Amino acid sequence: MKFLGLIVKNIGRNAIRSILTALGTMMLVFVVTLVWAILAFLNVALSEKNANFKAIITERWQIPSQMPYTYASTLCEGAATKPDDVRPMDSMTWQFYGGSIEKDRAKRGMNNVLFAFSLEPIKLLTMMDDLDNLPSATAAVFGKSVKALQDNRQGIILGRTRMETLKKKIGDTFTIYSMNYKDIDLEVTLVGEFPEGRYNNSAAINRDYLLAAMDAYQQKNGKPHAMANKSLNLVWLKVPDSATLGKITAQIESSPLFSNPQVKCETASSGIAAFIEPYRDLIWGMRYLLAPAILVTLSLVISNSISISVRERRSELAVLKVLGFRPNQILTLVLGEAILIGALSGLISSCLTYGIVNFPPPYGFGGIKFPIAFFAAFSIPLAALWWGPALGAGTALVGSFVPAWGARSVKVSEVFSRVG
Amino acid sequence: MQFSTAENAPTFPTVWRHKKVVKTSAPREQQFSNMATRNVHPIVRVNGIHKYFKRGSEKVDVLNDLTVSVPEGEFLGLMGPSGSGKTTLLNLIAGLDRPSSGEVWVGDNLISQMSESQLSAWRTRSIGFIFQFYHLLPVLSAYENVELPLLLLPLSKSQRREQVTTALDLVGLKDRMWHRPGQLSGGQQQRVGIARAIVTDPQLIVADEPTGDLDAKSAGEILNLLEEVRKILNKTIIMVTHDPRAAERADRVLHLDKGRLIEDIVKATTGSV
Repeated sequence: MKFLGLIVKNIGRNAIRSILTALGTMMLVFVVTLVWAILAFLNVALSEKNANFKAIITERWQIPSQMPYTYASTLCEGAATKPDDVRPMDSMTWQFYGGSIEKDRAKRGMNNVLFAFSLEPIKLLTMMDDLDNLPSATAAVFGKSVKALQDNRQGIILGRTRMETLKKKIGDTFTIYSMNYKDIDLEVTLVGEFPEGRYNNSAAINRDYLLAAMDAYQQKNGKPHAMANKSLNLVWLKVPDSATLGKITAQIESSPLFSNPQVKCETASSGIAAFIEPYRDLIWGMRYLLAPAILVTLSLVISNSISISVRERRSELAVLKVLGFRPNQILTLVLGEAILIGALSGLISSCLTYGIVNFPPPYGFGGIKFPIAFFAAFSIPLAALWWGPALGAGTALVGSFVPAWGARSVKVSEVFSRVG
Repeated sequence: MQFSTAENAPTFPTVWRHKKVVKTSAPREQQFSNMATRNVHPIVRVNGIHKYFKRGSEKVDVLNDLTVSVPEGEFLGLMGPSGSGKTTLLNLIAGLDRPSSGEVWVGDNLISQMSESQLSAWRTRSIGFIFQFYHLLPVLSAYENVELPLLLLPLSKSQRREQVTTALDLVGLKDRMWHRPGQLSGGQQQRVGIARAIVTDPQLIVADEPTGDLDAKSAGEILNLLEEVRKILNKTIIMVTHDPRAAERADRVLHLDKGRLIEDIVKATTGSV
C-alpha cells in the first residue's frame, strides 16, 4: 500500500498518454463485453441440464419450423396413445406472432415492432426458462399478470424494455399490425409485465386469441388463412430424465400422425443449436477470432504505453534501485501502473456498457440487437461488471510484463555522471 | 527533535539527533585541526581491489590494486581525470558494483561478498546518495522525494513524517516541502537530494559531482551544507569532484589516475603521502 501513491503519481506523469491508454482499453473492453454477453447467453442456452429436461419438437426438415396446429394436442401428450406409453410432465406450444403498432409499413422500425410468443398463459409460469423458478415475491407479481392474460384473451404481457420502447403502460389498448400473419391484426390490451431480466424485450399473447382470429378470418373470407396449416412453430415438453426423453422421442418419431410434415424431438439445447446453426461460422469467428484479436490488441496498446513510460524514466528507475528498491519491487511498481490503468478503465467501461446497452431508448440501446434464432436482443449480464476489470487487469499484466522486466533489469550505473 | 524508528527494526539506527545548525566562523585551518580529536576508526576499507571491464575481447583495467581507508566522520574528495576510476571506486564503495578482486568493507560489512538483494537492503539503511543531476522524481513533491527511501523501511507514516520534516528542516526547505522539483531552483533541488540522502540516517554519504550542475553561489551553499551535515551528524562523506573549490572543502583528497592512487592529500597537515 505504501507504493500505491507512487504508482498513482506515475500514472499522472503523462496524463494525456494515460487517458488515451484508458480510453483505448475502455473501447476494447466494451467490444469484448458485447461479444462475450452474446456468447455467454448462447452457452447457457446450449448447455444440457441434468434433470427436468426440456425437449423441443420442431418440423424435421425446415427452418423455421411450421407445423399444423392439429399436431399440438397429440404432441403435448408425447404422442402417447396406449396406457403404458410415457407422457411428459408438462408441455407448451409456441406460435410466433410478429407485428408492429405502426400501420404504415414505411414507418416500421425497431421502436414500434414486437415479437410475441402466442401460448397458453399458464405455461409462462411452468415451462418458460427462468420464469419457472422466480423468487416468491416476483412470482406472485408475475402470477397476477399471467392471471390477467388468462382472463382477458385479448391481453398482452410485455417486457419492461419493450414496453418503454413502445411507450405503452399497463391498461393501454393498441393494435398490432401483423408482419407474418397477413391481415390478422390483433387489438390487444397491455395487462402485465415480464419480470426484469432476459424477457425485457419479449411479448406474450394468449394463443386462444390468435386461433380465434384465424377462425374469424376463415369465416369472413370463406377459406382458411395461408398460415392455418403451419402456425405451430414449436412444442416444448418437460421430462424428468434422459431415459424418459428417449422413450418419448421414439414415440413421437415413430408415430404415423406426424408424417407430413415430419417432426423431430430433441433436447432444448440441441433444438436451439439447430436454430443457431446458420450462424455457426459467425459465432465461431466471434469466439475464436474477434474476441482473442481484441484481447491481443488491448495487450499491445498497454504494452506500448508502458514501454514508452519505462524508456522515458530509466534513470529514475535506476535511482530507485540505488536508493534500495529491489528489482522485484520495481517490477511491481511498473506492473502496478499498468494493472491499475487496465482495471480501472475496464471497470468504468463495463459499468458504462451495462448501463448504456441495457437501458431502454432514449437512454440506452435496450439490449444488443443481434437477432439470431428466436433471440431478438441480448442483455449485458450482471457478471459483466467484473469482466471489465478482470479483462483490463489481465491484459495489462500480460502486455506490461516485458517492459516491466526491462525496468527491473535497469542498470544503476545509469544515474551517475560519466566522469570516470 | 529526534529521528525515531519502529521498535521492531533493531538494525535500523534508533536515534538521530538533529542539533541546531550553527555556522562556524572559524578559519578552515582551525576547523581541520579538529580532525585529530575525531574518531579515526575506518568506516570504509578498500583492500587491494582490482576492477576491469570487458569491451569485446579486450579487457580494460579501471582500478589496479587499490587500497584506501576512510576514517569515520571524514570528508573525502576523489579527484582525477576522466577515466581515472573515481566513479567506479565510488560505485564499489556504495555497493552498486562488485570488484573483480579484492575486498570492500563498510563498517563491519564485507559488501563485496553480498548478494544483490542484501546490497539493496544494506544501501537503504547504510548509504545516502547525492547525484550531480539531483535525480529527483518530477511527479513527487520535495517531501515525497525525501520520503522515498523510508518507504523501504518498517516505519509508520507518522515516523516517516517526522524524519522527512526534520531532514527538510536541516537543509532549510521545510517551507517548500510540497513543491515539486520543477518549482525549485537547481540549488534547492540539490538540497532536497541531500535531505533524501540523510533521511535514513546512513553511516556513509556518497556524492557524485554534487556541485557539477550548479552556479558558483549555489555550489558554495551546497558545499557548506555538506560540511554541516558532516560535522553536525558526524557523517562520513565521499565526494567525487572535478572542481578544485569543492575539493578544497574536503578533509582529504585522493587523486586517481589510470586506476591507481597517485596522491593522498590530508588538508589538516597539508602533507602529501
